[in-house]
Amino acid sequence: MKRFSQLAMPYIVWCVVLLLLPMLLIAFYSVTDDGNGIVSFSLTLRHFTKFFTDPDFLLILWRSLKIAFKTTVICVVLAYPVAYFISSNDDKTRNMLILIITLPTWINMLVRTYAWVGLLSNDGLISRIFSALGIGGGELLYTEGAVLLGMVYNLIPFMILQINTSLCKMDKSLLEAASDLGANGFQTFWRVTFPLSLPGVISGISLVFLPAVSSFFIPKLLGGGKYFLIGNVIENQFITVGEWNFGSAISIIMAAVMMLSMYLVRKIEKVNAQGDRD
Amino acid sequence: MKKNKHYFGKFFMILSLIFFYLPIVFVVLFSFNSSKSLTAFKGFSLKWYEKIFTSSNMMEALTTTVLVAIVATFVSTIVGTLAAVGLSKSKKIVRDLVLYINDFPIMNPEIVTAIGLMLFFVTLGIERGLGTMMLAHIAFCIPYVILSIMPKIRSLDPNLADAAMDLGASPWQALTKVIVPEIAPGIFSGALIAFTMSFDDFVISYFVTGRGVKNLSIMIYTMSKRVNPTINAVSSLIVAVITAGLIIVNIMPIVKEKSEAKRRKKAEEAGLDPDNIEPDNDGMKKLMAAAIIAVVGVIAIIFHGNGKGEFEGQVLHIYMPGEYLGETTISDFENATGAKVVVDEFDSNEQMYIKVANGDKYDLLIPSDYMVERLMQEERLQPLDQSKLKCWDDILTDCTNLAYDPGNVYSVPYMWGTVGICYDKTKVPIEDLEKDGFGIFNDPKYKNQLYLYDSERDEFMVALKYLGYSMNTDDPEELKEAYEWLLEVAENMGAEIVTDEIIDNMAQGRLPLGLMYSGDATYVLAENEDMGYFMPESGTNIWVDAMVIPENAENTELAYEFINYISSYDAAYGISEYVGYTSPNEEVFDEMSSEGGLFYGLDSYVPRSGNPKDEVFHYNEETRKIISEYWSKVKIAASNAK
Repeated sequence: MKRFSQLAMPYIVWCVVLLLLPMLLIAFYSVTDDGNGIVSFSLTLRHFTKFFTDPDFLLILWRSLKIAFKTTVICVVLAYPVAYFISSNDDKTRNMLILIITLPTWINMLVRTYAWVGLLSNDGLISRIFSALGIGGGELLYTEGAVLLGMVYNLIPFMILQINTSLCKMDKSLLEAASDLGANGFQTFWRVTFPLSLPGVISGISLVFLPAVSSFFIPKLLGGGKYFLIGNVIENQFITVGEWNFGSAISIIMAAVMMLSMYLVRKIEKVNAQGDRD
Repeated sequence: MKKNKHYFGKFFMILSLIFFYLPIVFVVLFSFNSSKSLTAFKGFSLKWYEKIFTSSNMMEALTTTVLVAIVATFVSTIVGTLAAVGLSKSKKIVRDLVLYINDFPIMNPEIVTAIGLMLFFVTLGIERGLGTMMLAHIAFCIPYVILSIMPKIRSLDPNLADAAMDLGASPWQALTKVIVPEIAPGIFSGALIAFTMSFDDFVISYFVTGRGVKNLSIMIYTMSKRVNPTINAVSSLIVAVITAGLIIVNIMPIVKEKSEAKRRKKAEEAGLDPDNIEPDNDGMKKLMAAAIIAVVGVIAIIFHGNGKGEFEGQVLHIYMPGEYLGETTISDFENATGAKVVVDEFDSNEQMYIKVANGDKYDLLIPSDYMVERLMQEERLQPLDQSKLKCWDDILTDCTNLAYDPGNVYSVPYMWGTVGICYDKTKVPIEDLEKDGFGIFNDPKYKNQLYLYDSERDEFMVALKYLGYSMNTDDPEELKEAYEWLLEVAENMGAEIVTDEIIDNMAQGRLPLGLMYSGDATYVLAENEDMGYFMPESGTNIWVDAMVIPENAENTELAYEFINYISSYDAAYGISEYVGYTSPNEEVFDEMSSEGGLFYGLDSYVPRSGNPKDEVFHYNEETRKIISEYWSKVKIAASNAK
């Protein structure tokens, strides 16, 4: 027994060194000053003050949250019907459909995002279709819409999967019970199916919202340097400005905001669930 | 009702499949395009694939990607399995704590994991490179392996191992013969996740990599600024590998089942008990062997020498701006010397500085004038051994002995030029330019019509020159005024702030105005005859990009050889011809710019002389800090203006 537990020892050490320590280092850098070393340093909170007293940084954080929020809402709305359809099939078809949906997610995000550059560019396929239909006109690439599209495209499969899983887990006899008790199709969906699939929606939200907030190459490739998000600010601090301490502070702030928003989402869900029970 | 709903669902399903697969089909399709366009298919061609397989950089990125993915998968699967088994038998508090930390890379945004690891390596003084990339990949792969094994272990009878040992198995046997086979599906899917995570990773690799080590994702990211169908070809290869992998994984169980059934049948026919025959693992072993041979083969191809030469087997590490070499510049040098050249590219001098200052060792750098001065002041360069340089007779005196490096003690010019305004002659009348000068960037008439270049130095040059100051001013008031002017531009003009993307975009005439380096403008002017290049009377920046040898260079002999080679007529011509930048080689310069020359008549190819307001940059640490801070605020303001 004891012998087996020793098998985990190397990994415990590894965890501390390569997973925990780097996070502590970010925290350390964020409250110290001068130089990228640990030999000489002085404690300071000025990086946090700098961030919170500059309306421009706050605006970028706000915009990142906003675009992530939009992405999440679009993902839920579009993913739900697809997940619902998938879950309504028999096992074999369902597995096939899931494979088809997940296949693109295995290909890296950079490649999938770059693919949209050609499609959205001025004389690309999409704008040609648009102008043939007589809608739009104007630029598609390098707009907020393009960034939003890139995010939805990259992240929606996760939402579909999560919702589908929770729909499949659902006890189907509940639906029969609902209709036996006189609920119509819409009522059954809204009062039974949807609340029961909420856990899937919630975990889908965390899989979509969090990466959307911190993404930096989607806005860079599809936003054409016009749509700076918080991830871009962090990348910029580390790669070109060289203010690692400030960059670390922004990362901490971003991580904190993310945790807070996920906490709120969970809280709201709990309150809802309790409200339903009462 | 039910049927209707189904149609609705099917319709949605089909739409989403189109949505998911359209970009991928598009990428693959255009990887076979014979023209460079990403929007019009001109004919079938394999040339972009040929480019991958003939480019040593690409092949190396491919090997790095595969090598790292294999090592990361192998190590993380073994360590992850052991850890998962061990943790399941550990005290609850230990297990919970470790699993909590284990979740970090999964729950944290990738960029946070990435900078954490980068800070870790830099702080500990570990040289970044292949090793750090592997460590990082293993670090973020193990958690996924553990995550996919844990549920399998939980569903295992906790007394299984004890039972095995009671029956006389050693702990090792109990582990490998009893536990591991039981949790094999979890291990297998964990390994698969690890492989694809590693194969696809960009963000973490981008931050933890060091000199000369790039994976495919990093390659794609650095190439994505210019229209480059090679990216499509690389992407298609990635798509092919991943799809093939997934199909094998999904079909394997079916095939296995079938062959199992066959075997049983055969055994029964032979009158044997089918359960007592060792399963047939030959196929699997052959497959493994083939995979290993393939990998070794690829590695061997990559690392084999480049023929005979004085420097055979040696490596030259260069760090230089992107898109700044001729088509055969590197391969010609490699063939002539037998050495191998590894080129890393940067977006900006500042980016290069951070890498070099944090310990990345290169043999040759190609920074701009003011950055040469900075590196000199900080004693990061070695004085050149003039006896080894054979190039001075060939180089134009216009770009030697300039203020940033008097006497060229540390640097040899690579390219030179000016900064100016590239404009669409059909949309921007020259009178406007003559009247406004750089002020045109703040002319409401051209709102949403212009590009700014993402270089703090050059944008402050524009502002300072427009305001009539020296671009080397260290007066805080003047800098502040320039900052406020740029802020006004950022807030009102809807400018796109770009780097190399500007080149193809202006060549296609997307927007009519942009701040541009003369060399890029030459390329644009040669591609699109509607385009012109204008240098305001208020003065501009005369710049020189120069080759320098860092103080910690490992192969200085080869660096000198390279400097002499670049300064020679053939190499200089090749580069200038391909990228459009002005060569400091006198013969090349004269030939290109005189009648009948490739760039004859293009204003941008011949740097202006005789305007007393034109200046060369000086380095000053204090102003750099101020400008850098201001510029990042301008960029943020520009993006907030929308």
